[in-house]
Amino acid sequence: MKKLQHIFLVLIASVLGMLYACKGVSESPSNGGGGNAGIAGSMARFAIVENVLYTVTTQKLMIFDISNEQSPVARGEKAIGFNIETIFPYKNYLFLGSQSGMQIFDNSNPLVPTWISTYSHIMSCDPVVVQGQYAYLTLRTASACMRGANQLEIIDISNPKAPKLINVISMINPHGLGVDGDKLFVCEGNNGLKVFDISNPVSPLLQLTLSNIETYDVIPNNNVLIVTGKGGISQYDYSKKGELTLLSQIAVE
Amino acid sequence: MQPFGIFFRLCGNEVLNRTDHLNNINYMKKQLNLFLLLLLSGGFCMACWKSDNLESPRVSNTKTGYKPIYIATELVYKVTVQSPQKLKNPGKIYIKDNYLFVNEVGKGIHVFDNTDKTKPVALSFIAIQGNIDIAVKGTTLYADNLTDMVAIDISNPANARVVKRLPSTFPNVVKAYPDVMDTYFECVDPSKGTVVGWEKITLDPNHLPDCFRY
Repeated sequence: MKKLQHIFLVLIASVLGMLYACKGVSESPSNGGGGNAGIAGSMARFAIVENVLYTVTTQKLMIFDISNEQSPVARGEKAIGFNIETIFPYKNYLFLGSQSGMQIFDNSNPLVPTWISTYSHIMSCDPVVVQGQYAYLTLRTASACMRGANQLEIIDISNPKAPKLINVISMINPHGLGVDGDKLFVCEGNNGLKVFDISNPVSPLLQLTLSNIETYDVIPNNNVLIVTGKGGISQYDYSKKGELTLLSQIAVE
Repeated sequence: MQPFGIFFRLCGNEVLNRTDHLNNINYMKKQLNLFLLLLLSGGFCMACWKSDNLESPRVSNTKTGYKPIYIATELVYKVTVQSPQKLKNPGKIYIKDNYLFVNEVGKGIHVFDNTDKTKPVALSFIAIQGNIDIAVKGTTLYADNLTDMVAIDISNPANARVVKRLPSTFPNVVKAYPDVMDTYFECVDPSKGTVVGWEKITLDPNHLPDCFRY
């Protein structure tokens, strides 16, 4: 009987453990963070998923085996079209932002990522972040991107083979962005930082605008938002709804 | 296929020497409409010429141009750890455990101990020419060092050291032209070193540089 009890306890513990592990994955707030890797902002062109480092250059996705951490080994590359700018790993997928759209790769086999779909839009610069079944993408006009629109797009990726545009919110000069739980942070370049309430993930509600800083990219992690921009680095506490509390600043010279 | 040949040639990374391609010019004119269409639809196309002895190019800006910033090639691939530096032109950010990494665009990485978010402490500056991107696994930092990928042991950030270098991983970052359209620029002279960037200059309208993009 005692033995049975023991087995039962072990079973419960392992089920709880699995649940916790799943929770950890689904709520991973930002770019990376798994397998002893760090967390990047949305503008990153490097991404680590477990034992693989991916880099995107304008036309190539490159794959490096880093099982031996100190000795990366190039393990091939994939041609991915033109002007790829950012990479965001999420669950078993890689989301690549480019000037012509978002590409989704399946990386269940991390060393052999395979293309699944491309969500195309007009020419713009555009990083992408993902949470749950939605991708948030900013499009920005800039000299390097020739033309385009300034907007935030919400794309349903529940079927990664057929990404579907759900909503568009017009922006001024969007750059990097970050998502964590019910908050979406969007850098607006010279026009500061916007915080959206995404309790309803498909219709972000503008909650707060910080207009006194220039912003390029963000990392939201454990209620601390790190912001980079021309003026330097700022860190904010975002634990209170509708509030950003400045924690510290590292100013440029 | 032929128009695409032209298209890709114009989008290529090398500066075209006009005299070398004289035979292509007439053909190009025929294909100009198609080319313009591709240019409009592509948006990312670029054209670079070296204007040896042909008619003046279609560059409207004769006031300002660009000149290459050179660094002695043997110094480009030397990663050094320095005492903390001031932020000047911060780029991308990256966090790993209690560390915060801030890229200094094209120059390297500022390393901070960010245990106390109200008081990040600068630990060191890892000088890496051409650096833009960062990723960390365990105690190894991966960074682009212009054309190379480097793996850096950061178990002691004040004593970071390169443990592996993958040369020519990103060969296209060294360009023979600036990332600007409609401009004159001083042609690259490889004997002066490796080009790590471009500096805006005022042009003398009577002595325009030999190279240009439109």
